Amino acid sequence: MNHPNTTPDKPLPLAGIRVIDMATVIAAPYCATLLGEFGADVLKVEHPDGGDALRRFGTPSQRGDTLTWLSEGRNKRSITLDLRHPEGVAVFKQMVAKTDVVCENFRTGTLEKWGLGWEVLKKINPGLIMLRVTGYGQTGPYKDRPGFARVAHAVGGIAYLAGMPKGTPVTPGSTTLGDYMTGLYGCLGVLLALRHKERTGEGQYVDAALYESVFRCTEELAPAYGMFGIVRERAGSSHNDFAVPHGHFSTKDGKWVAISCATDLLFARLAQAMGRPELATEDTYGEQKTRLAHRHDVNEIVRDWCGALTREEVLERCYATDTPAGPLNNIADIFGDRQFHARRNLVAMDAPDTGEQIIVPAPVPRLSETPASIRSLGPKLGEHTDEILRELLDLDETQIAHLHANGVV
Amino acid sequence: MTGVRVIDVGNFLAGPYAASVMGEFGADVIKVEHPIGGDPMRRFGTATERPDATLAWLSESRNKRSVTIDLLQPDGVALFLKLVAKSDVLIENFRPGTMESWGLSWDVLHAANPKLVMLRVTGYGQTGPYRRRHAFAHIAQAFGGLNYLAGFPGETPVLPGTVPLGDYIASLFGAIGALVALRHAEATGVGQIIDVGIYEAIFRVLEEIAASYGLHGKIREREGSGSFVACPHGHFRTKNDKWIAIACTTDKMFERLSVAMGRPELSAPDQYGPQRKRLAARDHINKLVTEWVASLDRTEVLDKCLAEEVPVGKVNSIADIFVDEQFAARGNLARVPAEELGEVVVPGVIPRLSATPGRITNLGPKLGNATTDVLHELLGVHADEIQRLRQHKVI
Repeated sequence: MNHPNTTPDKPLPLAGIRVIDMATVIAAPYCATLLGEFGADVLKVEHPDGGDALRRFGTPSQRGDTLTWLSEGRNKRSITLDLRHPEGVAVFKQMVAKTDVVCENFRTGTLEKWGLGWEVLKKINPGLIMLRVTGYGQTGPYKDRPGFARVAHAVGGIAYLAGMPKGTPVTPGSTTLGDYMTGLYGCLGVLLALRHKERTGEGQYVDAALYESVFRCTEELAPAYGMFGIVRERAGSSHNDFAVPHGHFSTKDGKWVAISCATDLLFARLAQAMGRPELATEDTYGEQKTRLAHRHDVNEIVRDWCGALTREEVLERCYATDTPAGPLNNIADIFGDRQFHARRNLVAMDAPDTGEQIIVPAPVPRLSETPASIRSLGPKLGEHTDEILRELLDLDETQIAHLHANGVV
Repeated sequence: MTGVRVIDVGNFLAGPYAASVMGEFGADVIKVEHPIGGDPMRRFGTATERPDATLAWLSESRNKRSVTIDLLQPDGVALFLKLVAKSDVLIENFRPGTMESWGLSWDVLHAANPKLVMLRVTGYGQTGPYRRRHAFAHIAQAFGGLNYLAGFPGETPVLPGTVPLGDYIASLFGAIGALVALRHAEATGVGQIIDVGIYEAIFRVLEEIAASYGLHGKIREREGSGSFVACPHGHFRTKNDKWIAIACTTDKMFERLSVAMGRPELSAPDQYGPQRKRLAARDHINKLVTEWVASLDRTEVLDKCLAEEVPVGKVNSIADIFVDEQFAARGNLARVPAEELGEVVVPGVIPRLSATPGRITNLGPKLGNATTDVLHELLGVHADEIQRLRQHKVI
């Protein structure tokens, strides 16, 4: 474990950018998390009663929130605000006037109902950038439907592609994958919009839909159907439309490896690793088209070879000949892995109040001159309410006490 | 990003997709390829009538111009450095040490252009004991912990979708890094390197699996089509042998589902109203939902769920997607002409910006389609020199 959380000699590239994260769970908030890792001041605006649902999603922490919240709420400051209360709306508008980016993911029409739609906010702050994340986007016939990442995986086309052939489609590894992917696309959109704003003063909104983030990452699924009517299907543990072998193979010790030979050269190396170079000649399986035509035979040869060795033995032999192969790591494997340690991908942080040690993934991407950092874990609900009202809006103690007394914050 | 020049010297998708996104928003993306054959992505995927272009290549090399340069020749390296001097971002995904072996280390590139932003995407990153290992998307996904999690408990781990998710996700992280670095370079004149390992991009998006293992030693396992934290939450087969996804993340959502099923009593507080009771009786709940869904056609299930605002969706195949009205209304299927091939249907541009939307101007270019233009107009190379470079197969 490491504590590489701040590099005092290096600047945070987004210092001076202020972000309001009024969203919930992962998709839009993860955009704010990314901006915060690079130094933006992220103000998490939450309902006074319970706050972000992410505080209750996943494994409980000693403090009463959850591990996901502690990890993904990193670097944020929490202010409670009841946006159904007119005074809450007024405070929010004052905050927006002093903010560069707002991230939200309410159902379409919700902000408008509170008098906080794009047209209103744009008047308050013409340079504002607003990330709007929903299941289906701000437009189109399904725009009002509720959407979660699971539904987005299904609608966007990857759930159909995960699972055994003709079997039940499975979760593509993680139920929140589409949320993170949308956070990434949203962050890209915000950074592009920020660039435009800093040149022209003009703000704009980014309209992100969970299902679209998933669909965008489906390679040639759409062109192949459009041109040839090919419907890609689930392929279990080996996807052999273009390359053989390309998939997961079990080893003698009940573990799994991934092997992928995208080119003939790489298959020749695998044949070498298997001690059977004769498999990679022109009249055997040396050419991709021959391997594609005899995919079952080739997969069986690789399966038999892997099944006779332990995972470590298979990988050692593959690495020795530069064959693309790797373990299917579970989280225990990851904690013991040298590469994760060398790259400091696991960061140990002490949770505030309880001193509980929480291990979270380090920021990605890694920048050489202006690296991202984790300066704090997810805050307590309303931990920074008074501080933000005082510093950002210049409210005095009486005004702040009034807001508390009226249940606005 | 008009006015920003990006050199994409990578192969396949991890890294080059970051260049595609920048190109969609107006950057001038120059794809530098080997004169013989170019990017192997041109041959990966479904073949077309054009020998230099698969469908995957056409779609993901959108908006790029192709320039051929042989980086194994000193003249090629010199030419490349001239190009670097006139560019803002360089994207590469060779195994660490490869660019260096051609005389194109960071020090050399940085000297040619101190403001340069260099995005390096590889399976394992630029550092650490495995940095030189080969990795494609699925291997890095497996290494990063995603592939272990796809499939039914105790059964074969399957691919989390037969698409190279790791390449896309690593590219998205890379593009974010490049935009942050570009902003810094423009403000301060200081360029830098963005170092992305595909495996760590994947690991970063796996929620709390590290935290819960660290604290409680809990190893997350495959959860089939369901979820360990919510119920019902999964994929169900309809009477007409199609699939739908239902996600009752909260009690309120289950209450709505129980109404949609015509069995509101199921969500009473002493029945299965609270999530913990549903999780405790997961098999029973899943059986009830499975039976209900199996008694109806997909359209019927969807109509009943949508009437109650239950989070539900079709498990779409690409054929479903082509006739879906939301995809149509949002313009998610763009029809773009490709040279000699006519229209190709490709995913439209996201993210969707209101004032400065992205666009697709062309699909994957022919090999070297802009070599002369770029050499002549951008680098001021004379016609006879271009001729000489061609003769020597430098370009």
